[in-house]
Amino acid sequence: MLETHDLSAGYEGVPALRSVDFRVGPQERVAILGPNGAGKSTLLKTISGTVTPEVGSIRFDGQDLLALSPHQRVEAGIVHVPQGRMIFASMTVADNLRLGGHRSAARQRHDERRDLVLEIFPALADMLSRDGGALSGGQQQMLAVARGVMACPRLLMLDEPSMGLAPRAADEIFEGVAALLQSETTAMIVVEQRAYEALEVCDRAYVLESGEVALEATNEELLGDERLAAAYLGTEL
Amino acid sequence: MIEFLQFLVPGILIGGVYALLASGLGLIFGVMRVVNFAQADFMMLAMYLSWALFAGGIGLDPFLAMPGVFVVFLLLGMAVHWLFIRFVIGRRENHDAQVILTIGLGLIFQNLILIRYSSEPRVVAPSYANDGDFIGDIFISRARLYAFLLSMLVAALLFLFLNRTATGRAIRAASENWEAATYMGIDIDRTNRIAFGVGVALTAVGGSALVTFQSITPFVGLRFVVVMFAAVVLGGLGSVGGAFVGGVLIGIIQSVSQVWTSAAVKNVWVFGLFLLILYVRPNGLFGKVQRAI
Repeated sequence: MLETHDLSAGYEGVPALRSVDFRVGPQERVAILGPNGAGKSTLLKTISGTVTPEVGSIRFDGQDLLALSPHQRVEAGIVHVPQGRMIFASMTVADNLRLGGHRSAARQRHDERRDLVLEIFPALADMLSRDGGALSGGQQQMLAVARGVMACPRLLMLDEPSMGLAPRAADEIFEGVAALLQSETTAMIVVEQRAYEALEVCDRAYVLESGEVALEATNEELLGDERLAAAYLGTEL
Repeated sequence: MIEFLQFLVPGILIGGVYALLASGLGLIFGVMRVVNFAQADFMMLAMYLSWALFAGGIGLDPFLAMPGVFVVFLLLGMAVHWLFIRFVIGRRENHDAQVILTIGLGLIFQNLILIRYSSEPRVVAPSYANDGDFIGDIFISRARLYAFLLSMLVAALLFLFLNRTATGRAIRAASENWEAATYMGIDIDRTNRIAFGVGVALTAVGGSALVTFQSITPFVGLRFVVVMFAAVVLGGLGSVGGAFVGGVLIGIIQSVSQVWTSAAVKNVWVFGLFLLILYVRPNGLFGKVQRAI
């Protein structure tokens, strides 16, 4: 479905991605793991179009993605839930959701999608008329994911959905994502520091280190091999 | 007390028009962080258009001409964005280019009009220009009342546009966080183009609301540019509602200060209060932008 080839990108000469080959199959759920500064967010941004790669190609359903502007990539079905949530703080939760459904394929389905996201994150149902900025960190993250789901994504990209959250709030996010994946066939990329939680909702993982793919493995391979798990997943849990 | 009200009421009426002039500037700054120094010259062009339609044979009343003025300047603003402004959007190092570009456009507008129409002041005087009604002891000029009511109507339409339409919501989203708006699938270039067109058209309509009591010269913009910028900063950079309140406030201060001092120093009062408010609230009354330039 999505395939990058020899992808390199950088910020003002400092390389952030080096020759990355990355692939997501139809309906596949892929985790991207790795330490801070490994290039995980940069990879997502080159896919959504807010970072332009220096070399390499990205194909989405056989189409050259780099020829499309960022909003056209959303129209094609690639929806990025950015790191740091980026809620529209001065707008209501309902308006945030409506903006999430800005994609033309999603506009007609607004009510149906809103019912779906409120089922996944019931906490948002009582807050529709509140300003986004008035929500707690956990609620804002729910809203950020919900906003992405509103767009009827074909490929949903979550960048560190648990960042800065208390463990219980992070659990709620992952539970919501797991519930979503039961009813949806969307493909997904999750960038996470909490490797074990991410792997619970994914089929396969890439480990990035210093902008390079250090490892590509299925869940079973990663979790079944103590040496790999210790080397790449840390000692969490 | 009556004397105070006699100055307060006209202050509110003219303040409503200032509010409209300023909300156009505020919308453009809020959405694309471009300070449009040509804004008052778009206003000047709109005043000449109203004058030409009135004096140029067909005798069209400036208030009736306003929907047409809005559409013309919406398209003109979008064209200017497409031709020039979009190339200097964004990055910090573009700010110099934005300033030079918009000041340059303003100078070109002024001098094109000067060449075509000379510097002779032009007046639009419909039959009701000097009419008015007394409510109690307070005289209300009909032309200024129309200008005020029309400004309020346009402001209400702007509010509905920004809050109730998909394009309006997209503009507000882009204004708050362009990167997040991009992830929603919003075409930033398009929202910028529309916001620039609407912003220019709002100020243009405000300008043509002024023509029945303000004579028109190629440099009439200079008289209003200060008011517009003060209103936007006073209300808070990035807030269209703030610019609106700032405009009304400045109209009131200019007028009410004449209870105590000569009209010649009315802007001293404006800037006195301006400094005071910025001293207490450095981001303005409803400010969102911490540091924009």
